[in-house]
Amino acid sequence: MTTRRSFLKVVAASGGALALGIRIAGAEEPGTPFVPNAWLRVDPDGSVLIRVGKTEMGQGVRTSLPMIVAEELDADFAKVRIEQASPGPDFRSLGTGGSGSIMRLWTPLREAGAAARAMLIAAAAARWEVSPAACEAREGVVIHPGSNRRLTYGELAADAAKQPVPEKVALKDPKAFRLLGTSQKRLDGVDIVTGRAQYGLDVRVPGMLYAVVARPPQLGAKADSFDATEAKKVAGVRHVVEISRGIAVVADDTWAAMRGRDALSIEWGESPFAAFDGDEHLKALEAATAAPGITIRKDGAGREAMQGVSRKIESVYLYPFAAHAPVEPVNCTALLADGRCTVWSPTQTPNAVQAAAARLCGIPAEAVKVNVMLLGGGFGRRLGVDFDREAIEVANRIEGTPIQLVWSRDDDMKHGYFQAASAHRMIAGLDENGRLVAWEHRKVSSPHNARGVPTEEDKKNPDTVRRWAWGVYDSPYAIPAAEMTYVPIDSPVPIGPWRSVFSPPSVFARECFLDEVAQQTRRDPLELRLALLGADDPSIENRYEIAGGGLDRARMRGVLELAAEKAGWGGRPAAGRSVGLAGNVFHTETYIAYVVEVSLRKSPRAGQLPFVVHRVVCAIDCGVAVNPNGIAQQVESGVIWSLSNMKGEITVREGRIQEGFYSDFPVVMIDETPGSIETHIVESDDPRPHGIGEPVVCPLAPAVANALSRLTGSRIRRLPVRASDLSA
Amino acid sequence: MSRREISINGRRRLVEADDRMPLLWVLRDRLGMTGTKYGCGVGVCGSCTVLENGSAVRSCQVPFEASGGKSYTTIEGLSSDASDPCQRAWLAEDVSQCGYCQPGMILEMKALLRRRPNPSESEVELALADHVCRCGSYPRIRRAAMLAAKLGGAR
Repeated sequence: MTTRRSFLKVVAASGGALALGIRIAGAEEPGTPFVPNAWLRVDPDGSVLIRVGKTEMGQGVRTSLPMIVAEELDADFAKVRIEQASPGPDFRSLGTGGSGSIMRLWTPLREAGAAARAMLIAAAAARWEVSPAACEAREGVVIHPGSNRRLTYGELAADAAKQPVPEKVALKDPKAFRLLGTSQKRLDGVDIVTGRAQYGLDVRVPGMLYAVVARPPQLGAKADSFDATEAKKVAGVRHVVEISRGIAVVADDTWAAMRGRDALSIEWGESPFAAFDGDEHLKALEAATAAPGITIRKDGAGREAMQGVSRKIESVYLYPFAAHAPVEPVNCTALLADGRCTVWSPTQTPNAVQAAAARLCGIPAEAVKVNVMLLGGGFGRRLGVDFDREAIEVANRIEGTPIQLVWSRDDDMKHGYFQAASAHRMIAGLDENGRLVAWEHRKVSSPHNARGVPTEEDKKNPDTVRRWAWGVYDSPYAIPAAEMTYVPIDSPVPIGPWRSVFSPPSVFARECFLDEVAQQTRRDPLELRLALLGADDPSIENRYEIAGGGLDRARMRGVLELAAEKAGWGGRPAAGRSVGLAGNVFHTETYIAYVVEVSLRKSPRAGQLPFVVHRVVCAIDCGVAVNPNGIAQQVESGVIWSLSNMKGEITVREGRIQEGFYSDFPVVMIDETPGSIETHIVESDDPRPHGIGEPVVCPLAPAVANALSRLTGSRIRRLPVRASDLSA
Repeated sequence: MSRREISINGRRRLVEADDRMPLLWVLRDRLGMTGTKYGCGVGVCGSCTVLENGSAVRSCQVPFEASGGKSYTTIEGLSSDASDPCQRAWLAEDVSQCGYCQPGMILEMKALLRRRPNPSESEVELALADHVCRCGSYPRIRRAAMLAAKLGGAR
């Protein structure tokens, strides 16, 4: 165990600033020297700067993290800014993913803010020769009410830096929070609306050239040979180099590089997956649901209980491959010069970029500097470092020249990592009274392989397999006998973390099937869920322990009840409309429920959703709500993301990804956006804040599908939704 | 390669580029004006939208040879202090998430308001119907657009 003291330390700063180094997520061995990986600085002009290794990709960390510091520091929030930290030699925990930024940084940032505040007060007390206890701090000023004296944080910063870091600091009682829990707007909004915000593609380094790569159109193929004669004739093309993934064309501008690529003549070798077809794969997944697979959760007698049931309901749900498709295509800029590599990347994982650069260039990690740029959407795609590797490989070949490697839109759509296609066999067992007494959820998909293909051993290990079945094993419902299983099926389509990782397909199947069971047993879908969460049954415990955590069924009931109340559940929808509901607890931490109201769209345009969502009511329990405005923004975002999944899919024919643009992998547009999206935040007793960016996705699509199924009388068991699915 | 004079944000710029090079890359790679974003290159996503003589165009679809003598406004030219009513409305509604598509959205709205100073909600939706925001900021864009009209965005 490290002590508090080793988490915080005064570090050298120029010009009379108070600078505290912070070590976050230190699982260090005792005696390891203190290496900060976050900083808090109070400058003589009173401005406060925090540097943390959390990537902004639209989720609002550049606003919410400063709020946490400012609260405990009692800073003037208008003077707080955040800066992106870059990896140093011993700089772990910079990655951004899994909706974990707020939760993981909550305590360290609060402690840093409180420690700095104590030091500023101590400095003021020393100057006034009074007791620190007689002083107060507010909005960036220390006050001595007894003598009505005041000094700003800026005036105190230099003295405060000479104060010892307190061994222990008292954190505020959440009831005393002044800033946390209030709605704050984005701190970086002005940069965005004036075009000054610097995304990865906006990096401009003197002497920089632009590169695009021709990659094999078929999965797993490689170039046998290529002829660059014509490419080199394109004005502006400077180099053509072969890299591990394909042929890179390097030019004076992006457009010349793209035209040069078009002019390449490449013989692609045969693909071992030339026969791979996405529809056939989905059929194979469905067929594989016939076998139960590896058990990842078993309650009561598990699936054996199915033998004694009076009646079974059984359905299969299918979920397609899906792309991340951020509007800024992936890209990376790299320069290798004098044995040092500088990288500018819109990355969620700068440490991995640093390691990749060191390995590819054969230099120590200390000689690699990674500048993290803003992300034009992340969604898990930029946890991969494939695009960084390409840029570094090209820069390594053309030493001394900065290279910006750009993926075109269709590169981004075809050559990324995808949400795995999956099949889910759902079986419900009913007793003679029609009560749900047995449950089976068998998920089949191809395993997570963004960071390498799992070994055969991995595929048999329930602890590994469980991660691929998020949303299956962590179901909050208490059913006397339940068994959740997983079957891995290999596919050549590269799979990677997507927004909400692997949960959305699992939650879609579970929440839609539960609606089927409710309908077939003539129970209200809200009432059935509440009953399965122990609403009227004291023998069902609120706490349910599962691998990696535990969930609280009372909190799950809480969000369902709140969403239902706000939406007027149980009322009669207008003619031609229908309502649906679904819920989930994400990663055992954030509880969320949606109630939606839908109708069929009259004469949809080609590619437009064949239905209209009039209203979405969301209830969410994420513990402490740091920035309610940010939470509402993420709910809106999750609703649109999930609706997009009812619209588009990635298909594969003869080993080739077919979609390349938003015209063939359509996402939701403004004219398909729900009429209203309301967010209701539960006042939670949980003293910690939990993630938002991903939990908001999962239960929306099933709520919509449930509403549509009630409207048309036909069940939606495969996404995306076609107009033909909506005829009764 | 040819040399042309184009007016960008009220400044005359002499640019040399291939006649077929889209204005998007002229702006970004030749002039270093990166506020205009690349999203698809085929006129589908709208993130490269700029104003051409006051009307919204997709700069990835405007070849350099067609730009000569015309006057363009990019996001950098709307105002650098976010004082334009459209920018103010975007800030007031806290529209941006990742923000990458917003320059295109804002300029499309600017063009609409010049044409229709008080648009209806359906006119706003029609104007923005071909702009992709993968973060899903659309509910706030709707509100910001109506607010921009109130703030006198047509100016």
